[in-house]
Amino acid sequence: MLNKIPKWNLTLFVLIIAEMIVFGMINPRFWNVTILLNSFNDFIAISIIGFFVTLVVITGGIDISGVSIIGLTSVVTGLLSQVVGINIWGSILCAILIGGLCGLLNGVLIAYGRVQAMVITLGGMLLYSGIAIVLVGLSGVSTYEGISGFPEDFSSIANGEVMGIPHSVILFIIMFLIAYILLHRTKYGRYIYLTGINQNTADYSGINTKRIIASSYVLSGLSAGIAGVVLTSYLGSARADYGSEYLMPILTVVVLGGTLITGGKGGVVGTALASILLGFMQIGLQMAGVSTQYIGLATGVLLIVSVAFLGINPEFRLNMKRILTQKQHIGG
Amino acid sequence: MPRVRKIFKQREFRTFLFLVLLFMVVGFINSDYLSLQNIDRSLKSSLLYIVLAVGMTFVLLTGNLDISVGGTLGLSAAVCGTILRDGGNIFLAVITAILIGAIIGLINGFGVIKLKISSFIMTLAILSITRVVQVIYTDGKWVENIPANFKELSNIDIFGINLLSFIVIVGVIFVQLYLSRSSKGRYYNAIGDNAGGAISLGIPVNRYIAYSFVISGICASLAGLIFVSQIGFVSTNAGAGIELTVIAACVLGGVSLIGGIGTVVGAGLGAIILTSINSALVFMKVPAFWNDTISGSLLIIIVVIDALLAFHANKKAKKLRLNARVL
Amino acid sequence: MKAPRNLVRLENIRKAFNRNIVLEGVSLELNESEVIAIIGGNGAGKSTLMKILTGIYKADEGVVEIAGEKADHLNPSSAHERGIYLVPQEPLLFPNMTVEQNLTLGFSKDKNEVRGESAKLIKELGWNLDLNRLAVTLSIAEQQQLEIIKGLLRKSKVLILDEPTSTLTFSETESLFKVIKQLKNAGVGIFYITHRLNEVFQISTHAVILRDGKVTLKGKIEEFTKDMLIQGLLPVGNENHYQNQFKRRRSTHEGEEPILKVENIVGDGFKNISFEVYKGEVVGLAGLVGAGRTEIAEAIYGIHPIESGKVYLDGKDITKLSINETVDSGLAYIPEDRFLNGIFSITSVRNNITAQLIKRHGFFTKKKLEEQVADQYIDRLRIKVNSREDEIKSLSGGNQQKAVIARALSMNPKLIIMDEPTRGIDAAARGDIYSILTELKSQGFSILLISSDLEEIERISDRIYAVYQGTCDVCLNVDQINAVNVMKAAFGTFKGSDMTHA
Repeated sequence: MLNKIPKWNLTLFVLIIAEMIVFGMINPRFWNVTILLNSFNDFIAISIIGFFVTLVVITGGIDISGVSIIGLTSVVTGLLSQVVGINIWGSILCAILIGGLCGLLNGVLIAYGRVQAMVITLGGMLLYSGIAIVLVGLSGVSTYEGISGFPEDFSSIANGEVMGIPHSVILFIIMFLIAYILLHRTKYGRYIYLTGINQNTADYSGINTKRIIASSYVLSGLSAGIAGVVLTSYLGSARADYGSEYLMPILTVVVLGGTLITGGKGGVVGTALASILLGFMQIGLQMAGVSTQYIGLATGVLLIVSVAFLGINPEFRLNMKRILTQKQHIGG
Repeated sequence: MPRVRKIFKQREFRTFLFLVLLFMVVGFINSDYLSLQNIDRSLKSSLLYIVLAVGMTFVLLTGNLDISVGGTLGLSAAVCGTILRDGGNIFLAVITAILIGAIIGLINGFGVIKLKISSFIMTLAILSITRVVQVIYTDGKWVENIPANFKELSNIDIFGINLLSFIVIVGVIFVQLYLSRSSKGRYYNAIGDNAGGAISLGIPVNRYIAYSFVISGICASLAGLIFVSQIGFVSTNAGAGIELTVIAACVLGGVSLIGGIGTVVGAGLGAIILTSINSALVFMKVPAFWNDTISGSLLIIIVVIDALLAFHANKKAKKLRLNARVL
Repeated sequence: MKAPRNLVRLENIRKAFNRNIVLEGVSLELNESEVIAIIGGNGAGKSTLMKILTGIYKADEGVVEIAGEKADHLNPSSAHERGIYLVPQEPLLFPNMTVEQNLTLGFSKDKNEVRGESAKLIKELGWNLDLNRLAVTLSIAEQQQLEIIKGLLRKSKVLILDEPTSTLTFSETESLFKVIKQLKNAGVGIFYITHRLNEVFQISTHAVILRDGKVTLKGKIEEFTKDMLIQGLLPVGNENHYQNQFKRRRSTHEGEEPILKVENIVGDGFKNISFEVYKGEVVGLAGLVGAGRTEIAEAIYGIHPIESGKVYLDGKDITKLSINETVDSGLAYIPEDRFLNGIFSITSVRNNITAQLIKRHGFFTKKKLEEQVADQYIDRLRIKVNSREDEIKSLSGGNQQKAVIARALSMNPKLIIMDEPTRGIDAAARGDIYSILTELKSQGFSILLISSDLEEIERISDRIYAVYQGTCDVCLNVDQINAVNVMKAAFGTFKGSDMTHA
């Protein structure tokens, strides 16, 4: 049975347990279920996007525009509900759909326009946050204050709890399940993997790889939309600049979770575990009295180490051996 | 004559035309835009970006990406500012800053070449690390009270022309000549254009990739120096988000993200265009919040057009090749 | 009369990769003003031999002498220095640099000198190469010209031309021959690797035939006829590599409708192709590499468009169908390049086998069903694997190919197009695949076999069509199939005039 669980996920799980023990020993307040569960609020946005960026990365692409879509959907939610006066739930739906539209633009240009994913989502990052800023500007709302005054219902999306479990945990589980089932139990998910492993072979097998790739970006956009709504609910106001600091963490949880940046391998279980690992680490470090900037340091180092170790496993070990023993490379 | 025609055909010329067009359109709407004073000011504010774009071009030519430049800029600026503020020697400050850039570049190069990490991830990680290092170094505080004499350096005018602008422009020209004329300079293009071909010609590909990162790092720290001098103080997030603008500038200027195509002149022009759009909006009384939207759209449009053109050229070439074989 | 100076001497060259002997006892001499045509089938060892000469490989045994001096430790740059230059079949250029930049890159001479010399050379050769054009805009012929100039600039005394005319038009070829004659007169020695026997007689002074790593024929061109050259390419004696398990179907197919009917199709890389495949037979598409067979197959399968003509599968018009629709109609294609297009390397054997059939399973994947199917095929095709969840990458080439075949079979095709199914597979696994083919035949499947291994095609096919340079004029019926005819057909000399040297 143990054989079935990928080694890397197991490692992540062990690391989570380990850090829980360590942080708890440093500050026993850490061992508080409520605190741990509430910490999900801090990384729920990252995780939601992370799950679906994982899909994109598995197809061999990358999506960095999600961080801007967060801001855009936040602004749209705020504007539609507070300024235009549309029902809050309608506004949320619109906002999320707009996230999907952004993803559609990304996806079409990347899959059919044959442009590098990096570039398009880079441009998208600028464009979507730009649109958010324009919307704020045009509507005359103050950029510093953001749009607030949301109804109770809305703020309970992120801030409420069910039987003592914060909504964010439930949301985490729901989004995880959706991503997991999609990726590991459906034809679509299988096609995502196959497209990422070898797009040529997938084409030859009759798989519509372009549609698969484009749709993965739509999902990523939708997830960013959901994250934007959740964040707005959590913080109580809609701003255009939400999400900008999330780029690193999102990529980190995807890569740390064991998904190869080159595509074809990985999964959302790893992303979920990595999110929890990182999220607990943040709280743990805070409780241990470490200032928050070191956390950024840890994230960066973790990213390098995990990619180097995972992505090119056999080659990396070979290279390490070479560096350490300084063997001459005899060319063929 | 054919020489002149050759210049017209270059991508860079088209970028230059775009710049001229931009100035003309805006100048038409608000003639103050064309004043010498404004052009001088525009140029000065774009120097930072030009220097960054030059360094970034080296990396892009070889087919890689350097997203860490903003962090390098911030860190170098912070260190330089601190040394100056505490009464240190100007030369010490400058040399230290440059060293920092070079070291960060070396680390990036190491990760990409030896650890075989994609440049995107490696430089992204280094970015977050340098940001943190900067905060730790400055204790989370801004670096202020920098001696005026250093700040004045960027304002010196010789014969009415800003000295710094002059140096940067001359520098760009020299780098351009190096990259396009000298045999070693061509290596960067070669590596991005056809890495396999470069290897078979005996070009030390890995070494030059390392050089490209080091150069990018040094340019970032030079930009940091300019930052300190022009802005006068270093905030904790100095340079944040700048890397994307720099990449956009390079792409606008005709540097391809795939590698092998592009010049520093083009990148420099792209940098000027981006900073000019900013001020152009002001002069056209367009609210500044349109800036990102315009830059982002521009980037996407240019890149898509480029890709489509390349795809069609490829398809045509392949068709020709196949049909040449038929009896 | 002075004897021409010796440029290159290869004696008893032996080269093996792992346990695969690629060259054995090859001896060859090239003198000034000689053009030696090197002819051989795929895998004969031609390119390995040239790579040894240009320092990319090192011979295991034997002597390499250049201009009378031993050349034991060659590498590409020292080979250049000693005057040897290989003009590759696919030009190795920097597409986004100008012609001039391509010429001067990595070349230690002064740039102005190089520019001046190239301009002079181009003029002398009567070519029209603009030094300032971007390499990517050059036609294939011009790219080749660029490569040749690179070689001449380095004052090469020995030029190796690897299939230089495979992508040239008639007039460009003539122009190339003029150059070769000029070089010949100037004392340059040329190795000319080619498939085209006509050309051999047009411009070479000598001919060498390589077969399975050995020289089977060598001498002045005057001594040979085309037939003699073909003879040299054939297997020695009567080696019966494969058991006579292949009983050819003797059938006139009277009144029978073909399973696959290709009518005068035209596309990129081929024109006026017509042939038929009937139920339960193996039809071979013989030809040399680059003849256009893969292009034809991929067009039939739906990857590339067919410009005119029609394709019928069991009576249904599949000309304009997408890949998916073509598969659903009952056509399967096993691609030529297994690694590039055939397998999903970093996933399990099961996933590879079920990649196509899962589309019939509905929205959710049915793991149990998949496992059953995979197990069935592993059994039926005797795929050697520890578990169906093993990564396909870890399997041998032969077993990987079986998995690809399994995937094709899983869609219940009527006709399977197999493109080089045994390439890169060792002898034992080959036999296994041939058995599978026989079984499939007896079960009523039809197979279109594309292979450059002329022996293989000769042994397995019931009927053979030959494709030569994008056209298909030859059909060998059961009685006409023998080694000589197949060879001739592949080399385009089957019908009509058996020309002796020009």
